[in-house]
Amino acid sequence: MTQTATSRRDFIATGLAAMAGAGLSAAFSPAFGKAVRPADKIRLGIIGTGSRGAGLATLIHEMPDYELVACCDIIPENLQNGLSLAAQNAQGYADYRKLLDDKSIDAVVIATPLYLHYPMAVAALQAGKHIYLEKSMTYDIPQAIDLVKKVKASGLVFQIGYQYRYYGLYHRVKEIIKENWLGKITHFECQYNRNSNWRFPVKDPKMERAINWRMYREYCGGPLSELCAHEIDVVNYLTDSRPLKVVGLGGINYWKDGRDTYDNIRTVYDYPHGVKASVTSVLSNAYNGYSIRILGDKATVEILRDKAFIYPEITNNAKGVVDGVTGATIAATTQGKGVEVKFGKPGEADLEPTVFALKDFAECVRNKKEPVSNVETGRDGSIAIHMGNAAADTEKVQYWKPEYSA
Amino acid sequence: MKRRWHHVILVAGVMSILTSALRPARIPETYRITGQAQGTTYAITYYADQKLVSKTQADSIFKSLDASLSIYQPGSLISRFNASQEAVEMDAHFANVIEKSMQIYRTTGGLFDITVYPLVRAWGFGVKATDAMPDSAAIHRLLPCVGSDKLKMEGLRLVKTAPCVQIDVNGIAQGYSVDVLASFLEARGIANYMVEVGGEIRTKGRKLPGNEPMNIGIETPSANVFDAPAIREVISIGDGAVTTSGSYRKFRESGGMRLSHIIDPKTGYPVQREIISATVVAPEAITADGFDNALLAAGIDGAFEILRAHPGMEAYLIYRKPDGTVADTASAGFGRYVVAER
Repeated sequence: MTQTATSRRDFIATGLAAMAGAGLSAAFSPAFGKAVRPADKIRLGIIGTGSRGAGLATLIHEMPDYELVACCDIIPENLQNGLSLAAQNAQGYADYRKLLDDKSIDAVVIATPLYLHYPMAVAALQAGKHIYLEKSMTYDIPQAIDLVKKVKASGLVFQIGYQYRYYGLYHRVKEIIKENWLGKITHFECQYNRNSNWRFPVKDPKMERAINWRMYREYCGGPLSELCAHEIDVVNYLTDSRPLKVVGLGGINYWKDGRDTYDNIRTVYDYPHGVKASVTSVLSNAYNGYSIRILGDKATVEILRDKAFIYPEITNNAKGVVDGVTGATIAATTQGKGVEVKFGKPGEADLEPTVFALKDFAECVRNKKEPVSNVETGRDGSIAIHMGNAAADTEKVQYWKPEYSA
Repeated sequence: MKRRWHHVILVAGVMSILTSALRPARIPETYRITGQAQGTTYAITYYADQKLVSKTQADSIFKSLDASLSIYQPGSLISRFNASQEAVEMDAHFANVIEKSMQIYRTTGGLFDITVYPLVRAWGFGVKATDAMPDSAAIHRLLPCVGSDKLKMEGLRLVKTAPCVQIDVNGIAQGYSVDVLASFLEARGIANYMVEVGGEIRTKGRKLPGNEPMNIGIETPSANVFDAPAIREVISIGDGAVTTSGSYRKFRESGGMRLSHIIDPKTGYPVQREIISATVVAPEAITADGFDNALLAAGIDGAFEILRAHPGMEAYLIYRKPDGTVADTASAGFGRYVVAER
C-alpha cells in the first residue's frame, strides 16, 4: 500500500471498477477454525502491540477466557511490551505471517495501522484463525466489500473492535429510544475532539511514519477513521441503519506539522427518514471531547465517555386546559435539567467496555456465533467513513451505492 | 306592598352605583408565584385586587418547613430525631405532622406508617440512592425498628422506644405544606386561590374576575419519568384539597420488575399492588396526602374499605388489570367533582 492521497481519492471515486480490475476476490480458499471446547482457554495471538494492542493485552491478561500465547510487532519495544503481558512461554514475532503459521493458535487480535487491516485479516482467515480486528475495518471501500465475502465464506468468527456495541450504557440508550423516551428523533450530533497534536513521541526520525501513521493518508483516514469511527458505528447501531449520503468539509488549519490527514473535519450524514447525523472531529478543542447528543422532540440524550444524561423538553401541555394538575410528585430535577441515565445490572462490575466486547468474542468463538459487531456492521462503518472523507476531499455529496451492500 | 319593595330595591341600586362610581374600579387580577421546594416544583395562584403575598414569603415558609421536616437536611428536627437515641422536642410543624400521621396510621391499620424510613433507605429510596438490593436477612433485621406504635408523644416530646426507630414524613409533608401555605394566604385576606406543591393541591373560591371554577387535571400514569403528563380526568373540587400518590414516577427497576418507592411496613418489601395512582379529595391536603399512600398500598378492595370508614373523603383510583391494561374506578361521591366534557 503506497498510494498517495490523490491516488486514494481516485481509488474511492472509481470504487468497484478498481476492485474488479485488481482481482481482489480471486481464489480464496475457506479454512475452518479449530473448534474450541467450552472449558478450554482460547489460545490467542496479538498482531500489533502498540498502544492499542498493548491496552488490549492488559485487559486480556486479566480474563480467564484467553491465554495470550503469541505477540507480533515490527517495533521491538512494542513487542517486548506485548510479551510482558503474555503467557510465560509466549512466542514473539516481527512477521505476522509466522504467527499465523502457528497451528496451535485459535484466534488473533489485529491492532495494526488501518492500511494493514485488510491484508492481515485476509491472511488470518486463510490460516483459519478467528479474528478480533480493531476498528475501523478497512482502508477503503473495495476492501470492505471484499472482506464481507471472504469472512462469510470462511465460517470463522470475525469481530470488529467497536466495543460500544457491548457496553451497557449504549444498550440502555437503545432501550430508552425504543421506549420512546425521546419522542421522534431527528438529529444526532457527534463529536470526537481533542486539544493535542495527536502525536506519539518518536526517538528515531526514521520511525516517524510507522509510529505516527495517523498523520498520513497513506495509512489511514485520519480523525474520521481513527476517532469518529466509533460514533458513526453508534449511530448505525442506534438507528439500525446506515447513511444514505454525506456532505463534509475538512482541513489542516491548526497543526501544520507535515501531516496530510485532516486536523478538523465536519460531516453531515443523512440517514433514512431524514435523520441527520453531524460527525465532527476538531483537534484544537477538548471541551466534552467525546460526545453524542441525540435530539428527540421529547428529550435529548447526551452520551459522554462513560455516562449519559437525559434532558427532557419543557412541555406546558397541561396549561390552558386546566388550572392545576394532581399527580405523583415530579422531581424538580426532571424539569429541563439533565438526569443521569442508569445502566448496568445491580452489583455488576464497572468494567472497561472493551472487556465486554472481548468476553463476547470468546463466547462467539466457543459457540460459533456471529458477533454483534460483525463484518457487515464493520463494512457499513468503513464505507460511511470513506464516504465522509471523500465528501470533504471532493466537496461533493457522496451517496451510498446499492452495490456497497448488495 | 309590592310597590314599596320595588322602591327599596331601586334606592339600593342607585346607592351601589353611586358608591362604586366614587371608588376607582378595581378588577381582580391573577397573581402567580412559582418556584422549587422540597425537591419538586410549586405554584401558588391567587385572585385579588392587589399583590398580597410575595415569593420571598412563600420561600421562607418552605424554609421553616424544611428545618423541621426535611430528611435531606442533616440539621433538621426530623434528622435530629432520627439520629437521637430517644427523643426530641417538637416544634409546631413537627407536632402537627406527627399527630396526623399517628392518626392515619391507626385508622388505616398501619398501612400509612412514617417509621418505614429504615426500609425506604434499604431499598434505595432514601437520601442516598443505592444500587444494591437488600436481601431478606437485611429486611428481617430492620423490621423490629418499624411500626408507629414505637413512637410516643409525651407533651411536646416525641419519644422512640428503640434507638433504631427512624421516621420519614415525605408521604404527608407535601400535603401539610399546601395547608400551611393556604392558611397563610387566607390570613392575608385571600379568598380565591390554588396552592400546588408537587402535584398536591388545595383550592378555595373561584377564578376572578370571570368567577369560573378552578379545574384540576388528574394525570395519566406515564410510561417513564420524562413523559409529559397527560390528563385523564378533569375535576373541580370547590373548597378543598386533592392529592395523588403514584407508583409510576418513582421506582427502581430490578430483574424486569418495577419496585415502587412505597414500602409495605408489614412485609418490609415494596408494595406490588394493582393500583398505580390514587387520587384523594378531602377538606385538607394533609388528610388527602396521608391517605393516598395508604390507598395505594391497600389494593382496590382494601382502598374501598378505608373509604367506607371515612365518609368525608373521596377517591379516584387508576389500576392495572391482570391482562396489563389500565382501568380506573372511583368512590361513589367522586362523580360530583368530575367536570363534564366540554
